[in-house]
Amino acid sequence: MNNYLGNKKALAIFLLPALIIYSVVLIYPVLQTVFRSFYDWDGLSTPVFSGLSNYKELFGDPLLGTSLKNGAIFALVLVVFQIGLGTVLALICADPRTRGRKLLKTAYFVPVVLSVTVVCQLWIAMYDPTNGLINRLFSLLHIPYEQNWLNSPTQSIIAIAFVNAWQFMGYQFALLYAGVKAIPEDYFEAATIDGCSKWRAHLHVTLPLMRETFKFCFVIAITSGIGAFVQMLIMTNGGPGTTNYTLTFMIYRYAFMESNYGYACAVSVLLVLISLLATLVINKVFDRGQQA
Amino acid sequence: MSRTALRKVGQTVLQIPLWLYLVVSIYPLFWMVSYSLKNNDEIFVTNPFGFPTHFRFENYVNAWKQFNVPRYFLNSFVVSIVSTVLILLLALMFAFAVARMKWRFRSAVRTYMIIGMFMPLQVIMIPLALLVRDFHLTNTYGALILPYVAIGLPFSTMVFYGFLVGIPKEIEEAACMDGSSIYGLFLKIILPLALPAIATVAIFQFLNNWNEFTLAYILISEETMKTLPLGLLFFQGSYSTDWGAMGAVMTIASLPMVLVYLFLSEQVERAMTVGSAVKG
Repeated sequence: MNNYLGNKKALAIFLLPALIIYSVVLIYPVLQTVFRSFYDWDGLSTPVFSGLSNYKELFGDPLLGTSLKNGAIFALVLVVFQIGLGTVLALICADPRTRGRKLLKTAYFVPVVLSVTVVCQLWIAMYDPTNGLINRLFSLLHIPYEQNWLNSPTQSIIAIAFVNAWQFMGYQFALLYAGVKAIPEDYFEAATIDGCSKWRAHLHVTLPLMRETFKFCFVIAITSGIGAFVQMLIMTNGGPGTTNYTLTFMIYRYAFMESNYGYACAVSVLLVLISLLATLVINKVFDRGQQA
Repeated sequence: MSRTALRKVGQTVLQIPLWLYLVVSIYPLFWMVSYSLKNNDEIFVTNPFGFPTHFRFENYVNAWKQFNVPRYFLNSFVVSIVSTVLILLLALMFAFAVARMKWRFRSAVRTYMIIGMFMPLQVIMIPLALLVRDFHLTNTYGALILPYVAIGLPFSTMVFYGFLVGIPKEIEEAACMDGSSIYGLFLKIILPLALPAIATVAIFQFLNNWNEFTLAYILISEETMKTLPLGLLFFQGSYSTDWGAMGAVMTIASLPMVLVYLFLSEQVERAMTVGSAVKG
Protein backbone atom coordinates (compact mmCIF):
# COMPACT_ATOMS: atom_id res chain seq x y z
CA MET A 1 0.00 0.00 0.00
CA ASN A 2 2.75 2.46 0.96
CA ASN A 3 4.52 1.52 -2.21
CA TYR A 4 1.37 2.18 -4.16
CA LEU A 5 0.83 5.63 -2.68
CA GLY A 6 4.52 6.48 -2.63
CA ASN A 7 5.06 5.96 -6.36
CA LYS A 8 7.80 8.54 -7.10
CA LYS A 9 7.08 8.90 -10.78
CA ALA A 10 3.35 9.41 -10.20
CA LEU A 11 4.15 11.91 -7.45
CA ALA A 12 6.27 13.98 -9.84
CA ILE A 13 3.53 13.91 -12.48
CA PHE A 14 0.85 15.07 -10.03
CA LEU A 15 2.93 17.61 -8.17
CA LEU A 16 5.31 19.30 -10.57
CA PRO A 17 3.06 21.10 -13.07
CA ALA A 18 1.33 23.11 -10.34
CA LEU A 19 4.55 23.67 -8.38
CA ILE A 20 6.48 24.88 -11.40
CA ILE A 21 3.90 27.38 -12.64
CA TYR A 22 3.27 28.62 -9.10
CA SER A 23 6.97 29.03 -8.38
CA VAL A 24 7.93 30.66 -11.68
CA VAL A 25 4.95 32.99 -12.05
CA LEU A 26 4.16 33.86 -8.43
CA ILE A 27 6.92 33.09 -5.94
CA TYR A 28 9.91 33.99 -8.11
CA PRO A 29 8.41 37.40 -9.00
CA VAL A 30 7.76 38.10 -5.32
CA LEU A 31 11.42 37.40 -4.54
CA GLN A 32 12.44 39.48 -7.55
CA THR A 33 10.43 42.42 -6.24
CA VAL A 34 12.11 42.25 -2.85
CA PHE A 35 15.54 41.86 -4.43
CA ARG A 36 15.11 44.65 -6.98
CA SER A 37 13.87 47.07 -4.36
CA PHE A 38 17.52 47.46 -3.35
CA TYR A 39 18.56 48.42 -6.87
CA ASP A 40 18.47 51.42 -9.08
CA TRP A 41 16.88 50.02 -12.19
CA ASP A 42 14.93 51.20 -15.22
CA GLY A 43 13.85 47.71 -16.32
CA LEU A 44 16.19 47.64 -19.32
CA SER A 45 19.79 48.46 -18.41
CA THR A 46 21.87 46.66 -15.79
CA PRO A 47 20.54 47.22 -12.28
CA VAL A 48 22.87 49.08 -9.94
CA PHE A 49 22.87 48.11 -6.27
CA SER A 50 21.80 51.06 -4.20
CA GLY A 51 21.20 49.63 -0.75
CA LEU A 52 18.38 51.25 1.13
CA SER A 53 18.31 54.42 -0.95
CA ASN A 54 14.95 53.55 -2.56
CA TYR A 55 13.43 53.16 0.86
CA LYS A 56 14.99 56.37 2.13
CA GLU A 57 13.63 58.20 -0.88
CA LEU A 58 10.24 56.56 -0.38
CA PHE A 59 9.88 57.86 3.15
CA GLY A 60 10.55 61.39 1.91
CA ASP A 61 8.08 61.04 -0.98
CA PRO A 62 5.05 63.31 -0.49
CA LEU A 63 2.96 60.80 -2.46
CA LEU A 64 3.51 58.21 0.26
CA GLY A 65 1.58 60.24 2.83
CA THR A 66 -1.25 60.84 0.38
CA SER A 67 -1.36 57.15 -0.55
CA LEU A 68 -1.37 55.90 3.02
CA LYS A 69 -4.06 58.38 3.99
CA ASN A 70 -6.21 57.42 1.02
CA GLY A 71 -5.73 53.71 1.72
CA ALA A 72 -6.88 54.30 5.29
CA ILE A 73 -9.94 56.32 4.19
CA PHE A 74 -10.79 53.70 1.54
CA ALA A 75 -10.56 50.93 4.14
CA LEU A 76 -12.62 52.92 6.62
CA VAL A 77 -15.41 53.47 4.10
CA LEU A 78 -15.48 49.72 3.35
CA VAL A 79 -15.54 48.81 7.04
CA VAL A 80 -18.32 51.24 7.94
CA PHE A 81 -20.47 50.60 4.91
CA GLN A 82 -19.95 46.90 4.26
CA ILE A 83 -19.34 45.54 7.74
CA GLY A 84 -21.29 48.11 9.77
CA LEU A 85 -24.38 48.39 7.61
CA GLY A 86 -23.94 44.82 6.33
CA THR A 87 -24.08 43.40 9.86
CA VAL A 88 -27.29 45.28 10.67
CA LEU A 89 -28.88 44.11 7.42
CA ALA A 90 -27.70 40.52 7.98
CA LEU A 91 -29.17 40.44 11.49
CA ILE A 92 -32.55 41.72 10.30
CA CYS A 93 -32.52 39.44 7.29
CA ALA A 94 -31.69 36.37 9.38
CA ASP A 95 -34.76 36.90 11.55
CA PRO A 96 -37.08 33.98 10.76
CA ARG A 97 -40.01 36.33 10.22
CA THR A 98 -38.32 38.27 7.42
CA ARG A 99 -39.99 37.69 4.09
CA GLY A 100 -38.36 37.71 0.66
CA ARG A 101 -34.96 36.65 1.95
CA LYS A 102 -33.97 34.95 -1.29
CA LEU A 103 -34.88 38.01 -3.34
CA LEU A 104 -32.99 40.33 -1.00
CA LYS A 105 -29.84 38.21 -1.03
CA THR A 106 -29.90 37.86 -4.80
CA ALA A 107 -30.45 41.58 -5.34
CA TYR A 108 -27.57 42.47 -3.02
CA PHE A 109 -25.23 40.06 -4.78
CA VAL A 110 -25.84 41.06 -8.41
CA PRO A 111 -23.26 43.91 -8.43
CA VAL A 112 -20.57 41.47 -7.24
CA VAL A 113 -20.57 39.56 -10.52
CA LEU A 114 -20.32 42.68 -12.71
CA SER A 115 -17.09 43.80 -14.30
CA VAL A 116 -15.36 46.49 -12.28
CA THR A 117 -15.09 48.58 -15.45
CA VAL A 118 -18.87 48.58 -15.92
CA VAL A 119 -19.41 49.51 -12.30
CA CYS A 120 -16.89 52.35 -12.41
CA GLN A 121 -18.35 53.77 -15.61
CA LEU A 122 -21.85 53.49 -14.28
CA TRP A 123 -20.83 55.49 -11.24
CA ILE A 124 -18.95 58.05 -13.33
CA ALA A 125 -22.28 58.65 -15.03
CA MET A 126 -24.11 58.76 -11.71
CA TYR A 127 -21.60 61.20 -10.20
CA ASP A 128 -21.73 63.45 -13.29
CA PRO A 129 -22.06 67.01 -11.92
CA THR A 130 -24.77 68.16 -14.34
CA ASN A 131 -26.60 65.07 -15.58
CA GLY A 132 -25.75 62.49 -12.93
CA LEU A 133 -28.29 60.66 -10.85
CA ILE A 134 -26.81 61.68 -7.50
CA ASN A 135 -26.94 65.44 -7.99
CA ARG A 136 -30.39 65.18 -9.57
CA LEU A 137 -31.58 63.25 -6.55
CA PHE A 138 -30.39 66.01 -4.22
CA SER A 139 -32.06 68.69 -6.29
CA LEU A 140 -35.25 66.64 -6.48
CA LEU A 141 -35.30 66.39 -2.68
CA HIS A 142 -34.38 70.09 -2.40
CA ILE A 143 -31.24 69.31 -0.45
CA PRO A 144 -28.51 71.74 -1.51
CA TYR A 145 -25.72 69.18 -1.58
CA GLU A 146 -25.00 68.93 -5.32
CA GLN A 147 -21.31 68.88 -6.11
CA ASN A 148 -18.60 67.82 -8.45
CA TRP A 149 -18.16 64.47 -6.76
CA LEU A 150 -15.10 63.16 -8.53
CA ASN A 151 -13.28 66.45 -8.72
CA SER A 152 -13.12 67.40 -5.08
CA PRO A 153 -9.70 67.11 -3.43
CA THR A 154 -11.25 66.09 -0.12
CA GLN A 155 -14.38 64.14 -0.96
CA SER A 156 -13.60 62.31 -4.17
CA ILE A 157 -11.71 59.56 -2.33
CA ILE A 158 -14.84 58.83 -0.31
CA ALA A 159 -16.98 58.90 -3.46
CA ILE A 160 -14.58 56.47 -5.17
CA ALA A 161 -14.33 54.17 -2.15
CA PHE A 162 -18.09 54.10 -2.01
CA VAL A 163 -18.21 52.58 -5.49
CA ASN A 164 -16.14 49.62 -4.29
CA ALA A 165 -18.17 49.45 -1.08
CA TRP A 166 -21.40 49.36 -3.10
CA GLN A 167 -20.20 46.72 -5.56
CA PHE A 168 -18.94 44.26 -2.95
CA MET A 169 -21.53 44.86 -0.26
CA GLY A 170 -23.35 41.74 -1.44
CA TYR A 171 -20.22 39.65 -0.96
CA GLN A 172 -19.64 40.81 2.61
CA PHE A 173 -23.36 40.52 3.26
CA ALA A 174 -23.34 36.88 2.13
CA LEU A 175 -20.45 36.15 4.52
CA LEU A 176 -22.08 37.96 7.43
CA TYR A 177 -25.44 36.36 6.76
CA ALA A 178 -23.85 32.90 6.71
CA GLY A 179 -22.07 33.85 9.94
CA VAL A 180 -25.34 34.73 11.68
CA LYS A 181 -27.01 31.60 10.36
CA ALA A 182 -24.18 29.38 11.63
CA ILE A 183 -24.99 30.26 15.23
CA PRO A 184 -27.38 27.79 16.83
CA GLU A 185 -30.75 29.48 17.41
CA ASP A 186 -31.08 28.23 20.99
CA TYR A 187 -28.22 30.50 22.18
CA PHE A 188 -30.16 33.50 21.04
CA GLU A 189 -33.46 32.11 22.34
CA ALA A 190 -31.97 31.38 25.76
CA ALA A 191 -30.82 34.98 26.02
CA THR A 192 -34.22 36.38 25.09
CA ILE A 193 -35.96 34.03 27.53
CA ASP A 194 -33.61 35.31 30.24
CA GLY A 195 -35.16 38.71 29.61
CA CYS A 196 -32.66 40.15 27.14
CA SER A 197 -34.16 42.39 24.47
CA LYS A 198 -33.58 41.22 20.93
CA TRP A 199 -30.85 43.75 20.19
CA ARG A 200 -29.11 43.18 23.50
CA ALA A 201 -29.13 39.46 22.77
CA HIS A 202 -27.52 40.12 19.41
CA LEU A 203 -24.95 42.42 20.98
CA HIS A 204 -23.97 39.99 23.73
CA VAL A 205 -24.60 36.63 22.09
CA THR A 206 -24.71 36.74 18.29
CA LEU A 207 -21.95 39.22 17.51
CA PRO A 208 -19.28 37.73 19.81
CA LEU A 209 -19.94 34.31 18.31
CA MET A 210 -19.36 35.71 14.83
CA ARG A 211 -15.71 36.45 15.61
CA GLU A 212 -14.30 34.26 12.83
CA THR A 213 -16.61 35.81 10.24
CA PHE A 214 -15.72 39.33 11.33
CA LYS A 215 -12.03 38.51 11.27
CA PHE A 216 -12.27 37.48 7.63
CA CYS A 217 -14.50 40.43 6.66
CA PHE A 218 -12.11 42.93 8.25
CA VAL A 219 -9.11 41.38 6.52
CA ILE A 220 -10.82 41.66 3.15
CA ALA A 221 -12.08 45.22 3.71
CA ILE A 222 -8.82 46.60 5.06
CA THR A 223 -6.44 44.89 2.65
CA SER A 224 -8.55 45.91 -0.33
CA GLY A 225 -8.54 49.48 0.96
CA ILE A 226 -4.75 49.50 1.27
CA GLY A 227 -4.31 47.99 -2.18
CA ALA A 228 -7.04 49.94 -3.98
CA PHE A 229 -6.23 50.82 -7.56
CA VAL A 230 -8.74 50.07 -10.31
CA GLN A 231 -11.39 52.55 -9.18
CA MET A 232 -8.81 55.35 -8.96
CA LEU A 233 -7.42 54.51 -12.36
CA ILE A 234 -10.73 54.36 -14.19
CA MET A 235 -12.63 57.09 -12.41
CA THR A 236 -10.13 59.91 -11.92
CA ASN A 237 -6.69 58.59 -12.94
CA GLY A 238 -5.44 59.35 -9.44
CA GLY A 239 -6.56 62.96 -9.61
CA PRO A 240 -7.49 65.72 -9.24
CA GLY A 241 -3.71 66.20 -9.33
CA THR A 242 -2.31 63.46 -7.16
CA THR A 243 -4.92 63.66 -4.43
CA ASN A 244 -6.34 60.18 -5.07
CA TYR A 245 -3.10 58.24 -5.15
CA THR A 246 -2.83 54.91 -3.40
CA LEU A 247 0.15 52.59 -2.92
CA THR A 248 -0.77 50.50 -5.94
CA PHE A 249 -1.23 53.64 -8.01
CA MET A 250 2.30 54.65 -7.00
CA ILE A 251 3.66 51.27 -8.13
CA TYR A 252 1.84 51.61 -11.42
CA ARG A 253 3.07 55.12 -12.05
CA TYR A 254 6.71 54.66 -11.05
CA ALA A 255 7.08 51.34 -12.88
CA PHE A 256 5.05 51.73 -16.03
CA MET A 257 4.98 55.46 -16.64
CA GLU A 258 8.36 56.57 -15.29
CA SER A 259 10.35 53.34 -15.73
CA ASN A 260 11.68 53.66 -12.21
CA TYR A 261 11.37 49.93 -11.51
CA GLY A 262 13.63 49.66 -8.47
CA TYR A 263 11.75 52.38 -6.67
CA ALA A 264 8.37 50.88 -7.62
CA CYS A 265 9.57 47.55 -6.18
CA ALA A 266 10.29 49.29 -2.89
CA VAL A 267 6.72 50.60 -2.87
CA SER A 268 5.49 47.03 -3.56
CA VAL A 269 7.46 45.66 -0.64
CA LEU A 270 5.99 48.33 1.61
CA LEU A 271 2.50 47.44 0.38
CA VAL A 272 2.99 43.76 1.23
CA LEU A 273 4.40 44.58 4.64
CA ILE A 274 1.49 46.87 5.48
CA SER A 275 -1.04 44.29 4.27
CA LEU A 276 0.57 41.52 6.32
CA LEU A 277 0.81 43.76 9.36
CA ALA A 278 -2.87 44.68 9.04
CA THR A 279 -3.81 40.98 8.78
CA LEU A 280 -1.73 40.14 11.85
CA VAL A 281 -3.19 43.00 13.88
CA ILE A 282 -6.75 42.03 12.94
CA ASN A 283 -6.09 38.42 13.95
CA LYS A 284 -4.55 39.53 17.24
CA VAL A 285 -7.42 41.87 18.06
CA PHE A 286 -10.09 39.27 17.37
CA ASP A 287 -8.24 36.47 19.13
CA ARG A 288 -7.75 38.60 22.23
CA GLY A 289 -11.51 39.16 22.32
CA GLN A 290 -11.87 35.41 22.54
CA GLN A 291 -9.98 35.10 25.83
CA ALA A 292 -11.78 38.00 27.51
CA MET B 1 -54.47 47.97 18.55
CA SER B 2 -53.69 44.61 20.11
CA ARG B 3 -50.17 43.68 21.10
CA THR B 4 -49.70 41.16 18.33
CA ALA B 5 -50.82 43.70 15.75
CA LEU B 6 -48.35 46.21 17.20
CA ARG B 7 -45.58 43.67 17.06
CA LYS B 8 -46.44 42.91 13.46
CA VAL B 9 -46.19 46.60 12.56
CA GLY B 10 -42.88 46.79 14.42
CA GLN B 11 -41.64 43.78 12.50
CA THR B 12 -42.56 45.39 9.18
CA VAL B 13 -40.94 48.69 10.11
CA LEU B 14 -37.79 46.84 11.09
CA GLN B 15 -37.59 45.30 7.65
CA ILE B 16 -37.68 48.64 5.83
CA PRO B 17 -33.87 49.00 5.77
CA LEU B 18 -33.63 45.69 3.91
CA TRP B 19 -35.90 46.92 1.14
CA LEU B 20 -34.28 50.36 1.04
CA TYR B 21 -30.93 48.71 0.50
CA LEU B 22 -32.43 46.55 -2.20
CA VAL B 23 -33.24 49.79 -4.06
CA VAL B 24 -29.70 51.13 -3.48
CA SER B 25 -28.27 47.88 -4.82
CA ILE B 26 -30.46 47.47 -7.87
CA TYR B 27 -31.57 50.93 -8.95
CA PRO B 28 -28.21 51.95 -10.47
CA LEU B 29 -28.42 48.88 -12.71
CA PHE B 30 -32.00 49.61 -13.64
CA TRP B 31 -30.92 53.18 -14.43
CA MET B 32 -28.12 51.86 -16.67
CA VAL B 33 -30.43 49.55 -18.61
CA SER B 34 -33.11 52.22 -18.94
CA TYR B 35 -30.73 54.86 -20.25
CA SER B 36 -29.41 52.36 -22.76
CA LEU B 37 -32.89 52.65 -24.31
CA LYS B 38 -33.19 56.43 -24.17
CA ASN B 39 -31.70 59.28 -26.17
CA ASN B 40 -29.70 62.09 -24.58
CA ASP B 41 -32.75 64.32 -24.38
CA GLU B 42 -34.69 61.81 -22.30
CA ILE B 43 -31.68 60.99 -20.13
CA PHE B 44 -30.82 64.60 -19.39
CA VAL B 45 -34.10 66.50 -19.50
CA THR B 46 -37.43 64.82 -19.95
CA ASN B 47 -37.17 61.49 -18.17
CA PRO B 48 -33.97 61.00 -16.17
CA PHE B 49 -35.21 58.59 -13.50
CA GLY B 50 -37.94 56.43 -14.90
CA PHE B 51 -38.64 53.65 -17.32
CA PRO B 52 -38.01 54.51 -21.00
CA THR B 53 -41.23 55.54 -22.77
CA HIS B 54 -39.97 54.45 -26.14
CA PHE B 55 -37.40 51.68 -26.57
CA ARG B 56 -34.56 53.02 -28.68
CA PHE B 57 -32.89 49.81 -29.72
CA GLU B 58 -30.80 51.79 -32.21
CA ASN B 59 -28.45 52.47 -29.27
CA TYR B 60 -27.69 48.75 -29.26
CA VAL B 61 -27.19 48.70 -33.02
CA ASN B 62 -24.78 51.64 -32.76
CA ALA B 63 -22.97 50.13 -29.83
CA TRP B 64 -22.58 46.80 -31.60
CA LYS B 65 -21.20 48.56 -34.70
CA GLN B 66 -18.78 50.84 -32.86
CA PHE B 67 -17.68 48.49 -30.18
CA ASN B 68 -15.94 45.27 -31.08
CA VAL B 69 -18.25 43.19 -28.92
CA PRO B 70 -17.64 39.70 -30.35
CA ARG B 71 -13.86 40.18 -30.27
CA TYR B 72 -13.72 41.22 -26.61
CA PHE B 73 -16.14 38.49 -25.63
CA LEU B 74 -14.09 35.89 -27.48
CA ASN B 75 -10.86 37.02 -25.82
CA SER B 76 -12.40 37.02 -22.36
CA PHE B 77 -13.93 33.64 -23.04
CA VAL B 78 -10.75 31.96 -24.27
CA VAL B 79 -8.63 33.37 -21.45
CA SER B 80 -11.17 32.54 -18.72
CA ILE B 81 -11.97 29.03 -19.94
CA VAL B 82 -8.39 27.95 -20.57
CA SER B 83 -7.16 29.35 -17.24
CA THR B 84 -10.03 27.80 -15.34
CA VAL B 85 -9.56 24.34 -16.88
CA LEU B 86 -5.81 24.44 -16.21
CA ILE B 87 -6.35 25.59 -12.63
CA LEU B 88 -8.84 22.79 -11.98
CA LEU B 89 -6.62 20.10 -13.43
CA LEU B 90 -3.33 21.19 -11.85
CA ALA B 91 -4.87 22.02 -8.49
CA LEU B 92 -6.69 18.72 -8.25
CA MET B 93 -3.55 16.79 -9.13
CA PHE B 94 -1.52 18.75 -6.61
CA ALA B 95 -4.15 18.33 -3.91
CA PHE B 96 -4.29 14.59 -4.60
CA ALA B 97 -0.54 14.26 -4.17
CA VAL B 98 -0.58 16.26 -0.95
CA ALA B 99 -3.76 14.87 0.60
CA ARG B 100 -3.63 11.18 -0.40
CA MET B 101 -0.12 10.12 -1.37
CA LYS B 102 2.55 9.16 1.12
CA TRP B 103 5.83 11.10 1.06
CA ARG B 104 8.03 13.06 3.39
CA PHE B 105 7.73 16.74 2.64
CA ARG B 106 4.07 16.96 1.88
CA SER B 107 3.15 19.31 4.70
CA ALA B 108 6.04 21.64 3.85
CA VAL B 109 5.01 21.71 0.19
CA ARG B 110 1.43 22.41 1.18
CA THR B 111 2.53 25.33 3.36
CA TYR B 112 4.64 26.65 0.48
CA MET B 113 1.51 26.68 -1.69
CA ILE B 114 -0.57 28.43 0.99
CA ILE B 115 1.85 31.38 1.13
CA GLY B 116 0.57 32.50 -2.28
CA MET B 117 -2.87 33.10 -0.87
CA PHE B 118 -1.58 35.95 1.27
CA MET B 119 0.39 37.70 -1.45
CA PRO B 120 -1.23 40.89 -2.68
CA LEU B 121 -1.35 40.71 -6.45
CA GLN B 122 0.32 44.09 -6.79
CA VAL B 123 3.63 42.73 -5.57
CA ILE B 124 4.17 40.63 -8.69
CA MET B 125 3.01 43.26 -11.19
CA ILE B 126 6.44 44.55 -12.13
CA PRO B 127 8.48 41.33 -12.44
CA LEU B 128 5.52 39.70 -14.17
CA ALA B 129 5.35 42.44 -16.79
CA LEU B 130 9.07 41.96 -17.44
CA LEU B 131 8.77 38.17 -17.43
CA VAL B 132 6.00 38.36 -20.02
CA ARG B 133 8.11 40.71 -22.10
CA ASP B 134 11.22 38.52 -21.85
CA PHE B 135 9.29 35.40 -22.85
CA HIS B 136 7.78 37.31 -25.79
CA LEU B 137 4.30 36.69 -24.50
CA THR B 138 3.20 40.33 -24.62
CA ASN B 139 -0.18 40.62 -26.31
CA THR B 140 -0.85 36.89 -26.40
CA TYR B 141 -3.40 34.86 -24.49
CA GLY B 142 -0.49 33.27 -22.63
CA ALA B 143 0.34 36.63 -21.03
CA LEU B 144 -2.89 36.39 -19.06
CA ILE B 145 -3.42 32.64 -18.79
CA LEU B 146 -0.11 31.90 -17.05
CA PRO B 147 -0.54 34.48 -14.27
CA TYR B 148 -4.22 33.64 -13.81
CA VAL B 149 -3.32 29.97 -13.36
CA ALA B 150 -0.54 30.75 -10.90
CA ILE B 151 -2.74 33.09 -8.88
CA GLY B 152 -5.66 30.67 -8.87
CA LEU B 153 -3.65 27.67 -7.71
CA PRO B 154 -3.14 28.36 -3.97
CA PHE B 155 -6.82 28.90 -3.26
CA SER B 156 -8.02 26.03 -5.43
CA THR B 157 -5.53 23.51 -4.08
CA MET B 158 -6.66 24.35 -0.55
CA VAL B 159 -10.32 23.81 -1.39
CA PHE B 160 -9.52 20.48 -3.07
CA TYR B 161 -7.19 19.50 -0.24
CA GLY B 162 -9.93 20.10 2.30
CA PHE B 163 -12.27 17.98 0.23
CA LEU B 164 -9.88 15.12 -0.50
CA VAL B 165 -8.58 14.57 3.06
CA GLY B 166 -12.17 13.88 4.09
CA ILE B 167 -12.52 10.84 1.82
CA PRO B 168 -12.12 7.53 3.72
CA LYS B 169 -8.73 5.81 3.46
CA GLU B 170 -10.25 2.53 2.31
CA ILE B 171 -10.74 4.02 -1.15
CA GLU B 172 -7.10 3.49 -2.04
CA GLU B 173 -7.02 -0.01 -0.58
CA ALA B 174 -10.00 -1.00 -2.67
CA ALA B 175 -8.49 0.53 -5.80
CA CYS B 176 -5.17 -1.20 -5.13
CA MET B 177 -6.87 -4.59 -4.66
CA ASP B 178 -8.80 -4.10 -7.87
CA GLY B 179 -5.49 -3.70 -9.63
CA SER B 180 -6.15 -0.12 -10.61
CA SER B 181 -3.03 1.99 -11.20
CA ILE B 182 -2.59 5.21 -9.26
CA TYR B 183 -3.56 7.17 -12.39
CA GLY B 184 -6.69 5.05 -12.71
CA LEU B 185 -7.48 5.73 -9.08
CA PHE B 186 -7.15 9.48 -9.71
CA LEU B 187 -9.17 9.54 -12.93
CA LYS B 188 -11.85 6.95 -12.21
CA ILE B 189 -12.43 7.33 -8.48
CA ILE B 190 -11.06 10.60 -7.07
CA LEU B 191 -12.09 12.85 -9.97
CA PRO B 192 -15.77 11.79 -9.95
CA LEU B 193 -15.90 11.99 -6.15
CA ALA B 194 -14.55 15.53 -6.24
CA LEU B 195 -17.14 16.83 -8.71
CA PRO B 196 -18.99 19.05 -6.20
CA ALA B 197 -15.74 20.74 -5.18
CA ILE B 198 -14.73 21.03 -8.84
CA ALA B 199 -17.99 22.82 -9.66
CA THR B 200 -17.48 25.30 -6.84
CA VAL B 201 -13.88 26.08 -7.73
CA ALA B 202 -14.76 26.31 -11.43
CA ILE B 203 -17.40 28.99 -10.83
CA PHE B 204 -15.13 30.91 -8.51
CA GLN B 205 -12.16 30.92 -10.87
CA PHE B 206 -14.17 31.61 -14.00
CA LEU B 207 -15.79 34.69 -12.46
CA ASN B 208 -12.46 35.94 -11.16
CA ASN B 209 -10.72 35.46 -14.48
CA TRP B 210 -13.58 36.92 -16.48
CA ASN B 211 -13.58 40.15 -14.47
CA GLU B 212 -9.86 40.50 -13.80
CA PHE B 213 -8.71 43.99 -14.67
CA THR B 214 -5.35 45.08 -13.25
CA LEU B 215 -3.04 42.47 -14.79
CA ALA B 216 -4.88 42.59 -18.10
CA TYR B 217 -4.47 46.37 -18.13
CA ILE B 218 -0.72 46.09 -17.63
CA LEU B 219 -0.03 43.08 -19.84
CA ILE B 220 -2.27 43.71 -22.85
CA SER B 221 -2.06 46.76 -25.07
CA GLU B 222 -3.06 45.35 -28.48
CA GLU B 223 -6.64 46.22 -29.37
CA THR B 224 -7.42 42.78 -30.83
CA MET B 225 -6.22 40.99 -27.68
CA LYS B 226 -8.15 43.04 -25.14
CA THR B 227 -10.55 41.32 -22.79
CA LEU B 228 -14.00 42.72 -22.09
CA PRO B 229 -13.12 44.85 -19.03
CA LEU B 230 -10.33 46.49 -21.04
CA GLY B 231 -12.38 46.98 -24.17
CA LEU B 232 -15.00 48.81 -22.15
CA LEU B 233 -12.43 51.37 -21.04
CA PHE B 234 -11.98 52.52 -24.61
CA PHE B 235 -15.64 53.34 -24.84
CA GLN B 236 -15.46 55.66 -21.87
CA GLY B 237 -13.16 58.02 -23.75
CA SER B 238 -14.74 57.96 -27.16
CA TYR B 239 -18.41 57.80 -26.28
CA SER B 240 -18.71 60.23 -23.41
CA THR B 241 -21.27 62.28 -25.34
CA ASP B 242 -23.56 59.47 -26.46
CA TRP B 243 -24.91 58.17 -23.17
CA GLY B 244 -27.41 55.86 -24.79
CA ALA B 245 -24.77 53.91 -26.70
CA MET B 246 -22.58 53.87 -23.61
CA GLY B 247 -25.43 52.37 -21.59
CA ALA B 248 -26.04 49.81 -24.32
CA VAL B 249 -22.42 48.67 -24.30
CA MET B 250 -22.40 48.35 -20.54
CA THR B 251 -25.64 46.39 -20.60
CA ILE B 252 -24.36 44.02 -23.30
CA ALA B 253 -21.17 43.46 -21.32
CA SER B 254 -23.00 42.76 -18.06
CA LEU B 255 -25.85 40.64 -19.28
CA PRO B 256 -24.09 37.25 -19.62
CA MET B 257 -22.68 37.27 -16.09
CA VAL B 258 -25.92 38.52 -14.54
CA LEU B 259 -27.88 35.78 -16.33
CA VAL B 260 -25.41 33.11 -15.24
CA TYR B 261 -25.72 34.41 -11.71
CA LEU B 262 -29.53 34.46 -11.75
CA PHE B 263 -29.64 30.86 -12.97
CA LEU B 264 -26.99 29.59 -10.56
CA SER B 265 -27.31 32.05 -7.70
CA GLU B 266 -26.94 29.51 -4.89
CA GLN B 267 -23.86 27.91 -6.43
CA VAL B 268 -22.27 31.25 -7.31
CA GLU B 269 -22.72 32.61 -3.78
CA ARG B 270 -21.38 29.42 -2.28
CA ALA B 271 -18.40 29.48 -4.60
CA MET B 272 -17.60 33.11 -3.88
CA THR B 273 -17.88 32.75 -0.12
CA VAL B 274 -16.08 29.42 0.21
CA GLY B 275 -12.89 31.44 0.62
CA SER B 276 -13.89 32.36 4.14
CA ALA B 277 -13.70 28.71 5.15
CA VAL B 278 -10.24 28.33 3.64
CA LYS B 279 -8.54 31.61 4.47
CA GLY B 280 -10.09 32.19 7.90
